[in-house]
Amino acid sequence: MKILIADDDPLSRRLLEKTLERVGYEVISVPDGRQAVKSLSATDAPRLALLDWMMPELDGPGVCREIRKRRQQNYVYMLLLTSRQSKEDTVVGLESGADDYLVKPFNADELKARLRTGERILHLEDCLVEAREDMRFKATHDHLTTLWNRAVIMDLLGRELTRSQRENGCTAVLLGDLDHFKNVNDNHGHLVGDQVLREVARRLLLSVRSYDFVGRYGGEEFLVVLNNCRPDSAFGRAEEIRKTICTRPIQTDAGPLGVTMSLGVLLSRDWGQRPADELLQEVDAALYAAKAAGRNCIKQAKPEESHEVASVPPPALERFR
Amino acid sequence: MNKADHSSEAASVNLNELLARVDNDRELLCELLSIFKQEFPGHLQGLQNAVARNDAAQVARISHTLKGMLSSLAVTKAVASVTRLEQLAHAGEISSLRGALGALEKEVQGLLPEMDSYLAEAANENTNR
Repeated sequence: MKILIADDDPLSRRLLEKTLERVGYEVISVPDGRQAVKSLSATDAPRLALLDWMMPELDGPGVCREIRKRRQQNYVYMLLLTSRQSKEDTVVGLESGADDYLVKPFNADELKARLRTGERILHLEDCLVEAREDMRFKATHDHLTTLWNRAVIMDLLGRELTRSQRENGCTAVLLGDLDHFKNVNDNHGHLVGDQVLREVARRLLLSVRSYDFVGRYGGEEFLVVLNNCRPDSAFGRAEEIRKTICTRPIQTDAGPLGVTMSLGVLLSRDWGQRPADELLQEVDAALYAAKAAGRNCIKQAKPEESHEVASVPPPALERFR
Repeated sequence: MNKADHSSEAASVNLNELLARVDNDRELLCELLSIFKQEFPGHLQGLQNAVARNDAAQVARISHTLKGMLSSLAVTKAVASVTRLEQLAHAGEISSLRGALGALEKEVQGLLPEMDSYLAEAANENTNR
């Protein structure tokens, strides 16, 4: 584990370096407080620090205050070293943000024990951060496909529409639905169905740019948001996605299965300042139209055709799925 | 190095304590003594100048630095003297600084020759190995 030593006294610094290297720490040492802050703020910085109280440029408590003020992503466990021993000094040291306090000349065993305490606290912090990140992931992603979940993809769509309106750009909204997916589940079971959904998700992710969004909108429905998309290329990109799904069979425990996807496409520029949920209704109608046209194809939602598409009664559309 | 030779009352450095502090690493011990020999004269000179100028803040700062160095090397008697000097400077007792400096100078008078003898012994031990 990396550890920073900040001490202006070269003798004390060398003694600390050697003591800590012996027990396996990777030591970085600096002679003043400013360099300590720089070192602790760097990428892959040490998360344990031994700071002398009195140093030129910036003293130990000053380093603690500076680091705490920055609210870095990774917690730094800081231990002040000093020959000051009054209760007032202890209070000042700890209130500056230091985690612990050791009086010089230090006893090597006590120092090591206190650093182990620091390591335990850092480990606990890592566990908490990991748990928080795990919960955040679960709250924002679909557990089966690991794509964005419905709530998040809708939120991302709303933000992207606002941005493209503000910048006079164009967002392409694609709603895709696997054709006859119910048959996969009925004939081969839900586990095979899940394998198909995971592979479709993987192919969708591979077919978009890193800054586009892909989410699982419903059971076998996927919403793709192509950010800053040129209007003349949107249909072509939807076609690429359709081909990505149907060109190669999906390998499953039930053997290779051919799967196709119908898609509705919508260009935000065609629809003015309409909210996301209204645009979704329009692209959903286009998707229904693609199903009605024989599936494994794409239909674009256009304002002038909106009435015609919408005129197909929903129960009639449902049977095309 | 023969520990018994340096553990008498007259010795400035508490060698047993120092060896324990460096985990019996004589190479490190020699390295620390060399650093001290290099740094100490400049700090002592700075301290003498600050006392001559009645500059209490500077006396306090340099005394603190010296206290740390002397403590690290377990030079126990000198630590007491330099601590007193630091306290007097913090208290602004300018008139007492010269006397306290004199006591410190007396404590550290034989320090560098003593360290030289440790280093020479260590070098001999290495040669005879």
